[in-house]
Amino acid sequence: MPEKPENRVERIVSDLLHGRRLKLRAGDAEEKEAITAAARFAAIRQGPQRMTPAFRHRLAQLLESAPQETWLTRRAALVAGLGVAAGALAGGVAGRSLASPRGIAYVSPSSPVLPVNGRWTDVGALSEFPDGQGKLVKAGAVGAFVFRRGESVTAVSSMCSHLPCELWWERGQSLLVCPCHPVSFTADGKPSSVTYTLPALNEVKVRVTAAARVEVLGT
Amino acid sequence: MSLGPRRPDDSAARSEQAEHAAEVVELPTATRATDIALDELELVYAFIYARVGNRADAEDLTQQVAMKAIPRLRQGAPASAIRGYLFATARSVLGAFWSTRLGLSQAELHEDLAMAVPPGPVSEEPAERVQKILNELSDNYRRVLELRFLHGYSLKEVAAEMRSTVGAVKVMQLRALRAAAKVDPDA
Repeated sequence: MPEKPENRVERIVSDLLHGRRLKLRAGDAEEKEAITAAARFAAIRQGPQRMTPAFRHRLAQLLESAPQETWLTRRAALVAGLGVAAGALAGGVAGRSLASPRGIAYVSPSSPVLPVNGRWTDVGALSEFPDGQGKLVKAGAVGAFVFRRGESVTAVSSMCSHLPCELWWERGQSLLVCPCHPVSFTADGKPSSVTYTLPALNEVKVRVTAAARVEVLGT
Repeated sequence: MSLGPRRPDDSAARSEQAEHAAEVVELPTATRATDIALDELELVYAFIYARVGNRADAEDLTQQVAMKAIPRLRQGAPASAIRGYLFATARSVLGAFWSTRLGLSQAELHEDLAMAVPPGPVSEEPAERVQKILNELSDNYRRVLELRFLHGYSLKEVAAEMRSTVGAVKVMQLRALRAAAKVDPDA
């Protein structure tokens, strides 16, 4: 049964009032006027906003990095854990990247995230991962979507392979959707669009222990 | 209505700076340019936040603006020269954000696209606009939006306050937001 409009808008209002990102689903456009009005009212509740020191610092780094290095540095750092895995970047991801004709540095498909001094982090029992659905987990500074298929699990980075934005799992479409621009990825990390070619998402190492716990290689 | 922290008094800050003028060390050009750019991006962030209502989206979109504007920022142009460019970029990024998320056309975003550059990061212009909108609504609609958005009441609390049910408040909230969207605060 389709979601009632008042419930749909309340879900979005509740997210906004809790400071969460706008997560819009198919059909939400029917209430576009109400949703954009809700976003404005939510902003007023918080009062005029300034950037957080951490975000300002990130922007400063972005501005001071060389233009041709900007995309690779920013994204690769986020993929591999906010700069924690500098060694891995130099020897792995960065070493295998290619500069596109448009100046965007592409990371080779499915490069695994291998943090320096990485460690396995328990992210929950296998039974907590719904079969066939993506679940966002954090292993230190590494964000990943874990997918369970029966008794086995796979994981991909939660960071878009183009813009440094965290993806979300769109259950209805079974896709990982980028909030920053119109691209999405399948559960195995491949871009879903053939017309908007992007590298695949980075693989994240994940395993199931004998005690049926899921562990992700993080920082 | 709660408003965020204000900047320290500018005249006091200037006076303090003057006292210590002799101690000022000339910063490298790149750092000065970055500081100028960051100050301008503060305005952009406030502008975007007032329209998307949450920090995560506001940060992503501000970062997109910064990335698009890097070549222009690197030219070392004065703040006044790059402000217009940054806000044009911000409007474009916001337009893409809404059109991607909701299928809104550029024409439907006329209000954002035509809006003047705000005077500063603590501009009260968005709050004033919202107050104008609230004033145009019926008592019930205004009350539900004030309680929910400005006072942070839960649906249950709003229902208790308005002697109604949660279900009825949800419907009223939707209708109030639809009505608010139709109000032109510039009229």
